[in-house]
Amino acid sequence: MAELKLQHLDKIYDNKVQAVFDFNMDVKDGELIVLVGPSGCGKSTTLRMVAGLEDISAGHLLLDGKDITQTPAKDRDMAMVFQNYALYGHMTIYENMAFSLTLRKEDPNVIHKKVLAAAEILGLTSQLNKKPNQLSGGQRQRVAMGRSIVRNPKVFLFDEPLSNLDAKLRGATRREILLLHKRLQATMLYVTHDQTEALTLADRIVCMSMGHVQQIGTPLELYDTPNNMFVAGFIGLPPMNFYHNMGFTDGKLKGNGFEVELTEEEKETLKAYYGKEIVLGIRPEDISENGSLQIRVTNNENLGMNTLVHGYVGDRQSIVAKIRGWADYKNGDTATMKFGRKHFFDKDTTNAIRKVGN
Amino acid sequence: MTQAMNDREIRMDRMRYVKNTSSSRLCYLAILLNVLYFISIYKSDVGSWYYQILVGGSIVYNLLFMLMTFLASEGVKNYQKNYSWMLIALGILQIVRIFILPTQAHQAMVKIGNEEVTVMQDAQYIRCIIYLAGSAASLIASALINQRKSIALENHIGKIGKEAA
Repeated sequence: MAELKLQHLDKIYDNKVQAVFDFNMDVKDGELIVLVGPSGCGKSTTLRMVAGLEDISAGHLLLDGKDITQTPAKDRDMAMVFQNYALYGHMTIYENMAFSLTLRKEDPNVIHKKVLAAAEILGLTSQLNKKPNQLSGGQRQRVAMGRSIVRNPKVFLFDEPLSNLDAKLRGATRREILLLHKRLQATMLYVTHDQTEALTLADRIVCMSMGHVQQIGTPLELYDTPNNMFVAGFIGLPPMNFYHNMGFTDGKLKGNGFEVELTEEEKETLKAYYGKEIVLGIRPEDISENGSLQIRVTNNENLGMNTLVHGYVGDRQSIVAKIRGWADYKNGDTATMKFGRKHFFDKDTTNAIRKVGN
Repeated sequence: MTQAMNDREIRMDRMRYVKNTSSSRLCYLAILLNVLYFISIYKSDVGSWYYQILVGGSIVYNLLFMLMTFLASEGVKNYQKNYSWMLIALGILQIVRIFILPTQAHQAMVKIGNEEVTVMQDAQYIRCIIYLAGSAASLIASALINQRKSIALENHIGKIGKEAA
């Protein structure tokens, strides 16, 4: 069992720069939490505070109810997997995986059993006599994971483990991590800036920006009901289209040279904003062809199953639509599209506008 | 398979992945003792043609010895059985060396001025014997350990192969 509580964690560096502000979270036993956000948002700093590699400036960190805020990294019973693998080049894979246990002076026979078991889980049994430079990036990352597994820690910490891999390998290794989590049922904290990793791996996602937690929720919650414009823009690929200064009048949203019809439910949601301006958000995948909205196409990207149509709507408001199938628009064409699911944001607070009672 | 193994089998199985460091370390010890030997021997103020030739030959042999022992240390590290024979031969040669330079120098007299003195005094002689004997013992021990381990590993791999088949 490993329940982790992060209570009001702050990180303030010696030069008074604050990297993390009031981070609060309860991680349940066996949960895979993904911290996601752009570079410099404080996600790795938070992970390093949990690992004990950074001092916690304020707040408390509890593992299974025990305060470990001041506990040295080596005594926290956590294992960290780094982006650059951190393997010893002169040691074989077996020796790399056994290293931490050898340092602890565990019985060599016990070490052997643990290393073989971990290697079997990770499909590394045939690689144990090789050196790290004889393995591919994905295999090296698996070795790094194996080194963590043999320790049987309470919490696994992953700091952008897939960033050094090419796209194909990243996908494969991502699936391996997911399977590993299912198999070990271990508590894991995973840092990434890649939203695909976050959406596919996480039980819950923590979206961060500039040291602040923007939203904590399941992948679907973050995608479907983002708390604010940052989360809405960060989660989803291509990112959400935003249209500022859209006025809500006559049951329609008008502004920027175009207008959008609203459903009864959407009108109900925006009731409090009648006559005011809001920000309209449309995900590219919520735009479809054969509507009344005219889009001047600048270019399109055919992705096989989908086509990304780039263009302008209204008064040169840029728009990206992700439509099904293979489309053949050319620069200068006019496409007629319609908006599906819409998101509304308060223009001052940037927070999502939700139906009262939701 | 792992769970069914007893401690002895696990020890055998470990050898598939862990190098034979005990044998290779004994080789390094043999090299170290040999270095101490020749540091000790070249201190002698020989002053005679015969011993100068012996010392010259000894320098060449020392270089060859270190090279071959290092080579063998890498071989035994990977449980290569044939290197055991090479180590035993080198060990025997180290014992033979005791009866060449140190013993002869210990028995020989040289005239310095008007005084007849022993080329190699007792203390130096005993030191040389200890170094050479120690080096020989390390080499032979290394060879025996490697022989035992490599045979055990061979049998273990054979057994695994049979089980897999």
